Amino acid sequence: MAIEYRDNEVVFSDIVGVEDAEVLLAWLQGREGVQADFAVCTHMHPANVQVLMAAQVRIAQWPVAVPLDVALRSAFSTGS
Amino acid sequence: MNELLAQFLSEARDALEGIGGKLMELENAPDDQELMTQLFRTVHTLKGNSGLFDFPEMSRVLHAGEDLMDAVRHGDVQYSQDLADRLLDAMDFVSALCDGIEKEAPVSPEMANEAVRQAKALRALIRTTAEPEVAALSDAPAAPASPALPLAQWLARVPEAIRMEAWEQAQHGSPLVWVHYVPSEECFYQGDDPLHQANQTPGWLWTGMAARAPWPALPEMDAYRCMLDFDVLAAAEQAEVATHYRYVPDQIQTMVVPPQWLLIPQGDPNGGPVYDDFVEDALGLLDSGDLAGLGRAVDTMLDLSSAALWLSSALRWMQRLLVMPAPDTQALRRLVESLQTLQVPAWSEPVVVTVAASSASAKSVQTGNVHAIALKNVIDVQREVLSLPDDAAWLPGRIKAAVASLSGCLRAFSRHGELEGLNTAAEQALANKSAVGLAQWLDAAFPDDAASEPSSSASATIASAAPAAEWVSVPATVAVSNTATEPELAIKEPLDADAPEADVKFGRRSEDATPKSLKVDQVKIDRLMNLIGEMVVAKNAMPYLANRAEAVFGVRELSREIKAQYATINRISEEMQDAIMQIRMMPVSFVFQRFPRLVRDISRRLGKQVNLELEGQDTAADKNIIESLGDPLVHIVRNSLDHGFEMPEVRQAAGKPVAGTLRIAARQEADRVVIEISDDGKGIDAHAVKVKAYQKGLIDEAAMDRLTDQEAVNLVFIPGFSTSDVVSDLSGRGVGMDVVRTAIEQVHGSIVLESVKGEGTRIRLSLPLSMAVTNVMTVESNQQMFGIPMDAVVETVRVPRSAVRTIKQRKATVLRGRVVPLRDLNTVLGLAAPPLTNDSDEYAVLVVRVGDAQLGLLVDDFHETADIILKPLSGVLAGLRAYSGSALMGDGTVLMVLNTKEML
Repeated sequence: MAIEYRDNEVVFSDIVGVEDAEVLLAWLQGREGVQADFAVCTHMHPANVQVLMAAQVRIAQWPVAVPLDVALRSAFSTGS
Repeated sequence: MNELLAQFLSEARDALEGIGGKLMELENAPDDQELMTQLFRTVHTLKGNSGLFDFPEMSRVLHAGEDLMDAVRHGDVQYSQDLADRLLDAMDFVSALCDGIEKEAPVSPEMANEAVRQAKALRALIRTTAEPEVAALSDAPAAPASPALPLAQWLARVPEAIRMEAWEQAQHGSPLVWVHYVPSEECFYQGDDPLHQANQTPGWLWTGMAARAPWPALPEMDAYRCMLDFDVLAAAEQAEVATHYRYVPDQIQTMVVPPQWLLIPQGDPNGGPVYDDFVEDALGLLDSGDLAGLGRAVDTMLDLSSAALWLSSALRWMQRLLVMPAPDTQALRRLVESLQTLQVPAWSEPVVVTVAASSASAKSVQTGNVHAIALKNVIDVQREVLSLPDDAAWLPGRIKAAVASLSGCLRAFSRHGELEGLNTAAEQALANKSAVGLAQWLDAAFPDDAASEPSSSASATIASAAPAAEWVSVPATVAVSNTATEPELAIKEPLDADAPEADVKFGRRSEDATPKSLKVDQVKIDRLMNLIGEMVVAKNAMPYLANRAEAVFGVRELSREIKAQYATINRISEEMQDAIMQIRMMPVSFVFQRFPRLVRDISRRLGKQVNLELEGQDTAADKNIIESLGDPLVHIVRNSLDHGFEMPEVRQAAGKPVAGTLRIAARQEADRVVIEISDDGKGIDAHAVKVKAYQKGLIDEAAMDRLTDQEAVNLVFIPGFSTSDVVSDLSGRGVGMDVVRTAIEQVHGSIVLESVKGEGTRIRLSLPLSMAVTNVMTVESNQQMFGIPMDAVVETVRVPRSAVRTIKQRKATVLRGRVVPLRDLNTVLGLAAPPLTNDSDEYAVLVVRVGDAQLGLLVDDFHETADIILKPLSGVLAGLRAYSGSALMGDGTVLMVLNTKEML
């Protein structure tokens, strides 16, 4: 399972594909102050990234995988 | 090459030919809806198929072609000759791509650029005819767009550590490239992952993502509409990067990053008087060239400062510079000086290179979060332009350009009210031939300090704030760029949308249901052909076996049974042979189909009007024969167009129809295919040909008088006759006609030319249906068997010894009133034995055709004819020109087949 939804936190692991974006968007609606854990995520399809950006999610854990880390930091610069 | 690809290539070629043919037909019937739809479908299918493979260039061009055809089909664009030219050109390009794929050659960057150019040329046709105003709209914001590629600001988004890494790589000679990648909104639906694409860029160092527009509220958001722009910093050659992004060349802009531009100090600008002291010291050290001292000062200062300070960042860069073998003191000085102002040193303008010289400048306006700085850049440049001396001849142009840029800026920042003032100032400036008034207006409208103020605030926000906030601050620009891009999208969408896909799928399915033909590799057919050849030889051994059974072993019963069995096998093998021949048969349309295009192109280029009539396209012959016809026919047709037809005025003056008629007709006559190419042009001047041939020493004076006109025009086939000076002042023809004849004779064909001056020319080619099996007559000479191809045999006669005369030591005889030279086959082949006569003292004379002449060969005896598989001589034997090949006979002996052309 690439996405684990908790109370107010979403945990990503491995590769998050494009098909998860719709579910993620639905889950984020009506929630506030959601934080995301990317520690074990290696790649995320940008469809998910833009959903997270639009929902102004706070990043609790940055990914270890370098390319994703770099790209996410450029997009979520307020969370650093 | 895998099978699927091979099949694709074969189908692609068929489709390309089909497209060419349909375009020709459309020229005659531009309103034919059915034809148009077929054409669209062919292009569409080809595009779809190309999408199965990794051929983005091909898909791109075909996609553009498909869009164009769709627009034509729906009446949005008028069919025109120009349109046909472009499409044909594009299809030629696709054909060239196919050639490349077949050779498994990688697509060169030139080809990729050409693909973009072709696609754009096709799309331009849709736009110019359908929406002429689009170009004007998208041009408007283009003026401020070019300085708005603020590489420096983009670079500021890259974390310092990565910039330092990039800088290191640059010092080791690696080129640095910045890629600004704006994926299409639909890209997720097409299975693209732009982030993955960006991260896979060769020499990847950094990827940045930024929102393209303010985020909508979550309930309104479409997760699958790409709203992100990507920026990539990579240490790679631009060409490499362009190859990586070859699927989306129109969505990227790349530019070379000068390494110095990476030197951007960032951080907390908290300053104090201690900076000034340091700056003073550092400049002093620089002046005295004491770099080691400067290094120590920098180290000390860095130790004392918090790492998060702007100062520390600048110091770290200085450290980097100082450890270089030859530190760049200029850069150091500028960094030191920047400590006073806390402004990033203004490294000079970047070299901007756009991979695809994209006209989609509207898109490039969306340059992210740097509009304030872009504005300042534009204003500064314009201020500088306007302050130039007014004495240049191009002053009005300069003023107009400045006004265009400035009005673009005003619109972009919603300052529409000030446009009028600008226009007034511009008019005055043009009237006075002085830019001073305009410069004054500029200073009033954009005070210097006000213009520079957003720059500092922007550089601060770039480092820290979210880009989304920046977008909100300049909604006007976003709106402008959206209106600019909308019309383009509006055209694209209906074309890209499902409608055409849907209605074509039905057609495709019904075609799939009933496959009527198989595509088989020629090698397989050739193998079958060879096998049946061997079988024929093996079969022919059976009568010998039957004879042996009877003569040697004395079993007549067995001999009879073998013969009966042989009859059956013979029948089956003959049918089999015939069936295989049928497989190899191809209609001449294979060759003919290229002529409509050829005739159209050449006649248009020459300014002549020629109607092409094709007849008997279904006439079939062996594949080898048909293929060998191609080049000679093209040659003949080209000659005819070039030299045969007169210009329209000349034709009219001669009382002929303005448009000439070129007729290419094919038909089967017995076991030969006859192809006639006739034109109603000016024909060949037989007398002029004779004179020319005489002057060239090709014929003597006697021959010149004796030759009939018909024989004279055939002189053009003599090698050496065909030189260009002959062509230019004669009635034409003759260019390489000897080459044509050689090519036709290679496949055992013949060529005859008839021409009447002023009325036209007719060329008649006669070719065998098949070359696979050769029918030969066997003759005996000096107890050896020889074969002579039946095509060459005229007759076999018995000539009494008394009827053979000797003329100038050459034997000859008279046959039906004609003198026929005789040659002794033994002598020709260097055999010592004299020819034998039969009991009535008659020679056996085999009369053969050699070119246009006849020759009698004296042999010992005639034998039966036989179907053989003629194999050319190979190795050392290939040099024996007296033989055209050898064949294996049923009894295992080898039959040498004579080459009659070498007999004279």
